[in-house]
Amino acid sequence: MPVAVLGTDAFVSLGQAAARALGMPHLQLKTVPHPIGGIDPKVVRAKAETIVDRVIAALTRDPATPTTAAPEAAVVVDAPADLDAFQDFAVAEGWSDGLPVLPPTEERVARLLGHLAQRRDEVVATLAPRRGIATLEAIAVNAALAGALPEHLPVIVAAVRAVAEPRFNLYAIQTTTHPCTPLLIVNGPLGRRLGISGGANALGQGHRANAVIGRGLRLCLQNVGGARPGREDRATLGHGGKFSYCLAENEAESPWPSLHVERGFGAGESCVTVCGAEAPHNVNDHGSTTAEALCLALAGTAATTGSNNVYLGGEPLVILGPEHAATLAASGWSKADVRRALWERARVRLERFSRENRERFAVIDPARFKDRPLTDEVALCTDAMDIMVIVAGGPGKHSAVVPTFGATRSVTVLIE
Amino acid sequence: MKTLRVSQPFGATAVEVQPLARRRPSLGGLRVAILDNSKPNADVLLGRVAELLVERAGAGPVAVWRKPGSSHPATVIDEVAAAADVALTGSAD
Repeated sequence: MPVAVLGTDAFVSLGQAAARALGMPHLQLKTVPHPIGGIDPKVVRAKAETIVDRVIAALTRDPATPTTAAPEAAVVVDAPADLDAFQDFAVAEGWSDGLPVLPPTEERVARLLGHLAQRRDEVVATLAPRRGIATLEAIAVNAALAGALPEHLPVIVAAVRAVAEPRFNLYAIQTTTHPCTPLLIVNGPLGRRLGISGGANALGQGHRANAVIGRGLRLCLQNVGGARPGREDRATLGHGGKFSYCLAENEAESPWPSLHVERGFGAGESCVTVCGAEAPHNVNDHGSTTAEALCLALAGTAATTGSNNVYLGGEPLVILGPEHAATLAASGWSKADVRRALWERARVRLERFSRENRERFAVIDPARFKDRPLTDEVALCTDAMDIMVIVAGGPGKHSAVVPTFGATRSVTVLIE
Repeated sequence: MKTLRVSQPFGATAVEVQPLARRRPSLGGLRVAILDNSKPNADVLLGRVAELLVERAGAGPVAVWRKPGSSHPATVIDEVAAAADVALTGSAD
């Protein structure tokens, strides 16, 4: 059936990309000036008047069907050999994240692939929104740009496979205005062998494996997936983790089964978990000596009105520093106890949400938001067992709460 | 200038060009569907455009389907296609 697609001018690049990915580059988008949300409905109605003639035309006039999709760019190209000039080239061609990238020469890509070179055309995943085909070779080219070493490639390949799982909802993660990006959590012996840090400053700078693995995935998402900042990637602000966001769980200092073991893998297997995550929000608690006491600071930090999890559900992540984890375990708490306690305490009174937001959330989650007294409270997410708990970090009395995109589920896969 | 041979990082795409549905010669009497993604004021924009299609182009009855959230694909597309002749949808903030 004929369909007219409407939007605002600020989102036209995303709309065009979606049309191209569906094989409909000739689908015309009818746009009004941005925004339509958060403004007086009278103004929105006036904006509707300005496009109705174009909508009528879109429903009554056949556009010409292009004979083929846009031609693919050359696979191998010439680039400046000078490293500084190469950065200008990489930025101009849209290959870079803004930090210097290394030239993906055929030699470097071949070295990264190693024995996988014979399988270079093997398709690992198709990445939204562009429906770019992530072959082993395409992933290796982006890993080469990121500065990854051959031993890092299997982790990046596994992460690409994980983000393409439907329940991760990659299309939405890649194109939303929310700042989320895949956080990689590595479990098992491979992480230790590669030096992926789960210790001091694990989410900060200074760890080569963390930096290049997270960056390798990000460049695959930008280049193969086609999520270009300000174009298809519509993040209003984004966050620093969109350059690279990768850590290991500190299994040695965790009092509990690690994330991958909770999800059915063996402690001796190596896995990566991807989760569509915001930046970490610190939980400073130098004083508390019991689980009950520490839980107050954790819950107070997790209960916020501006989080996606509070109305979309999903799996907020709590990263416990080892000293905080030890305090909780010393009170006899299991991970499930931590989840239950947080869910019971990390609550927001409905009166703290605006009327407009309560009305909107009531459509999305009527059970928790529709026709409820304003003195009722909602938990940080829909179900206590959805809260993800891992242990990471070095010495110190800090943990972090990491809200997620909400309309996504984390995915754990074996690193092969 | 000295150059290097480098691989471009985009890879191929899985896209094949699809024809669009045949447009209708006129909207007179046609059933109009609105697929609202529940973003704030999407219903206002789509609803007003539909009203104007009725007023200015003689379109027929208007029916509304609403996705509970914008971040998942619609599950009602077959239902919409069976119940209407043309559709309005969209996405933006």
